[in-house]
Amino acid sequence: MKVVIADDEDLARRLVREYLANETGIEIVAECTNGFEAVKAVTEHRPDVIFLDIQMPKLDGFEALELIERDVAVVFVTAFDQYAMRAFDAAAVDYLLKPFSADRFRSALKKVEQRLGEARPASQSDELRTAARAPGEYLDRIVVKEGTRVHIIPVGKLDYAEAQDDYVGLRSEGKTWLKQQTIGSLEAALNPKRFVRLHRGYIVNLDRITRLEPNTKDTWIAVLTDGSRIPVSRGGYTRFNSLTAG
Amino acid sequence: MHPVLTNWRSALLYLATWIPLGCVLGLLVSVSGNLNTLETAAIITPVTIVLAFVCLSPWYVCRSLPLKSAGTFRLFGQHVLAAMVVSAAVLLVARVTASTLTDVRPGLDAQLRMADPVLAVMVALVYLLSIALHYVVIEAQTSRRSELLAREAELRALKAQVNPHFLFNSLNSISALTASDPGRAREMCIQLADFLRTSLRLGQRPSIPFREEIELTRMYLGVEQVRFGQKLQVSLDVAAACADCEVPALLIQPLVENAVKHGIALLDSGGEILMLARMGKDGLQFSIENPYDPAAPSSRNGIGLTNVRQRLEARYGMAARLEVEASDEVYRVTLVLPVRA
Repeated sequence: MKVVIADDEDLARRLVREYLANETGIEIVAECTNGFEAVKAVTEHRPDVIFLDIQMPKLDGFEALELIERDVAVVFVTAFDQYAMRAFDAAAVDYLLKPFSADRFRSALKKVEQRLGEARPASQSDELRTAARAPGEYLDRIVVKEGTRVHIIPVGKLDYAEAQDDYVGLRSEGKTWLKQQTIGSLEAALNPKRFVRLHRGYIVNLDRITRLEPNTKDTWIAVLTDGSRIPVSRGGYTRFNSLTAG
Repeated sequence: MHPVLTNWRSALLYLATWIPLGCVLGLLVSVSGNLNTLETAAIITPVTIVLAFVCLSPWYVCRSLPLKSAGTFRLFGQHVLAAMVVSAAVLLVARVTASTLTDVRPGLDAQLRMADPVLAVMVALVYLLSIALHYVVIEAQTSRRSELLAREAELRALKAQVNPHFLFNSLNSISALTASDPGRAREMCIQLADFLRTSLRLGQRPSIPFREEIELTRMYLGVEQVRFGQKLQVSLDVAAACADCEVPALLIQPLVENAVKHGIALLDSGGEILMLARMGKDGLQFSIENPYDPAAPSSRNGIGLTNVRQRLEARYGMAARLEVEASDEVYRVTLVLPVRA
């Protein structure tokens, strides 16, 4: 079994390593100290399982997981218990709370082995992404991957998002970034006071809307500060008005 | 010093309120003594001025005789007696003024005598009213102060709770060390225990000497240095003059925790926490700065600072300052406490 360990603390990695040393058939293919490295290591080494800390420099564990496209079993290893239930509801195989015993660790490994035998549902990250947030708490940045490079878009710099098949196109600072995500799950993650779903295929940053122009009988066109023209459906028009009226 | 006299504006305002009071007094005296306006003004002006200052004296009297200190009757008796003395003294002032004026206005003396009872009763009543007002003011002050102290204690208790994540992470480090380096594992157990014990002990006190707070900070950072290793560097420079200043307990602890949790921990290569304490003209000045990653996901780092700010306000009002500067790479918090060694 190929393993990646991602934790910014040397001692925490040492402990996982020590527990793994008692097992047979384990190969540690990479150790990472931040979220970027974790994403890279999974892409390069195609591990079966990653032991993932949540609070890490650059990208936290959940953000790293969003960018990991490969099918890999995830075991969170953290001192924070507030994400536990949500991570479970989604697709994390296990959730180890620091400090944990060798027995507890072994049972996590067992679960990983079982999981590796089964066929897994493909897109775990979408569910996990939505599940990882407390109600009333919204994204303050979006991570996207372009090739091997990771780009971070603060939500304040997002002009609009456009649905494109299995992807969303994120328009920010004159560039469009593609991310594998449904527009619905992105909408749920954004603050509804700052972003409005103007159309089935579009979410727009309220600050960017300069005016709405009538188009056909029941539809409008939103003109943004950069001149982009976004179609507005009837439902979108109602949502926009209820937001700006309040 | 009476609070009214601590600045010019309030002193002038106070004297201004005596102008209508003096007019009322003058009206009563002029009617009962059959005096004209000029005569009344000549007598009542010095009387009013004397009375204005005498009516400040209850500030001291009321504080030495708090409402709950003695039986109601005794308290009442003492104040009535004082009012009679004040009344007699003011009457004497009026009499002296009138007699110096008898050369210009013969018979003024005798006319004023007719107004004596009215003047005596009015002066006594005004003085008693002043006593009552002073009790109200003092009571309001005490209740506000105890309210602030209670709030301060509440906030301090909140902060005295050791951050559970710090505890769990430290225990995890100990767990990792037990196999590879038992000696250091034991050492860290002891460091952690020392920190916990000290922080519990200090948290029970409203204020502590600054050096004890610094000592606690050192213990805390000692534990974190085991966890973070080379990533966490510390530089601590405390002027000797600050050591004995009395400061609110566990006030800077959350600032240090923030510097580690939101600064150093989220940087790939870590960095140095720089702390500096000096005595300035406004009191004790403490600053803490750390490198940080402005792009790091912002995770509720406002709570610790808000707590510190509220405690400062509860304790010192506007006299303390808390400033936060965040540049591209360095996060700095500066704290100024109006305290002396």
